[in-house]
Amino acid sequence: MSAVDENGPEHGGDDAVAAEYVLGVLPAEERAAAARRVETDPAFARLVERWEADLSPLASGYAEVEAPAAVKAALDRRLFSNAGAADVAPASSGLLSSLTFWRGLAIAALAALALVVALPLLNPPASLPEARLVASLAPQDSDVHYMVVYDARTHDVGLSHVTGERTDGRDFELWVIDGQQAPLSLGVIPAGASVHLAVDDALRRHIASGAVFAISLEPAGGSPTGQPTGPVVAAGDLKTI
Amino acid sequence: MTPQDITKLIVRVSVKDRAAFDLLYRQTNAKLFGVCLRVLNDRAEAEEALQEVFVKIWTKADRFAVSELSPISWLVAIARNHAIDRIRARRRPAADIDAAADVADPAPGPEAMAVAGGESEQIDRCLDELEQDRAAAVRGAYLMGESYADLAERHGVPLNTMRTWLRRSLMKLRECLER
Repeated sequence: MSAVDENGPEHGGDDAVAAEYVLGVLPAEERAAAARRVETDPAFARLVERWEADLSPLASGYAEVEAPAAVKAALDRRLFSNAGAADVAPASSGLLSSLTFWRGLAIAALAALALVVALPLLNPPASLPEARLVASLAPQDSDVHYMVVYDARTHDVGLSHVTGERTDGRDFELWVIDGQQAPLSLGVIPAGASVHLAVDDALRRHIASGAVFAISLEPAGGSPTGQPTGPVVAAGDLKTI
Repeated sequence: MTPQDITKLIVRVSVKDRAAFDLLYRQTNAKLFGVCLRVLNDRAEAEEALQEVFVKIWTKADRFAVSELSPISWLVAIARNHAIDRIRARRRPAADIDAAADVADPAPGPEAMAVAGGESEQIDRCLDELEQDRAAAVRGAYLMGESYADLAERHGVPLNTMRTWLRRSLMKLRECLER
């Protein structure tokens, strides 16, 4: 029996493959092929999602088992270990092979790049240095990359487009996330290599070092709900320069 | 925590809100660790897998916005898919199959039944329409991530027979779910 016969309509076709994929019974290669189809074939992805929803009540059969605290600690190291640039300070023979060092260096390089790329945005050049924040909005499962400079004196967000295009008929919307609060919209990002957004009074106090800027893909004209509705395509922390 | 609360946390995680991520982890790690443990049947590997699952949640949370799954189902799907990817990728010692078969328990406990509530009725009703061993195969495959090879071995039938058998059961399920 060939794969074609097995997947023919008399055996359920795509819907059967979707069910087998969700159930998890496929051998490794067929499973990987189905996973790729989910990414590239929206009709197949919908079949998968429907099975996922239909079978989801079976998950009540999974017992809840609290994971050991060490797991969260290891997870945090894995995701956030580049948070402390201070880790770089105690230089040792292992420095050049240290992941922390290279991550620190990457951040420094990004900040420098942000400055270079964003220099044309910085006018007038006489603004107070401490009133300026930069962020590299790095791609998140996309190729969208922007550099951002916020000038607290002129209440201006300057965006420098590095890579990534809008998909047709949709807009990029910029958000600021201040601590644990819900994202606040700074508006739809105009098309162009170097663009500006004005920040109104209410939003100013949320833009500070440590806050996060994120870009989501939204319907034309921006999110209809006031909260991000599409995928986040780029994000980054604001840093003082 | 209500599904709405979990939804809010996932949306905040999608814009890299770390406090929301910590809270989401606290609220859901037990369920997702339960998934990894059941599928992988190995504590150390399940701990590793759970970390990877949460790395995916951190990086792919924005995808939740375009999913129609409930938030907990979406999270469980990430954990199940990841754990199943891991067992498909490893060469599985035969002892593990037996161990997994031993802990097979097609009936959810009373607590789980209560949690699932009315939503579980349709799938349960439809599974009840299948022959008992086939319904057990579907439940077992779902909960333990068994492959066709595992199922064929456990049910003592050739792999192709198992596949034909399970596909027919799945198509019957689809018919019933659409009624």
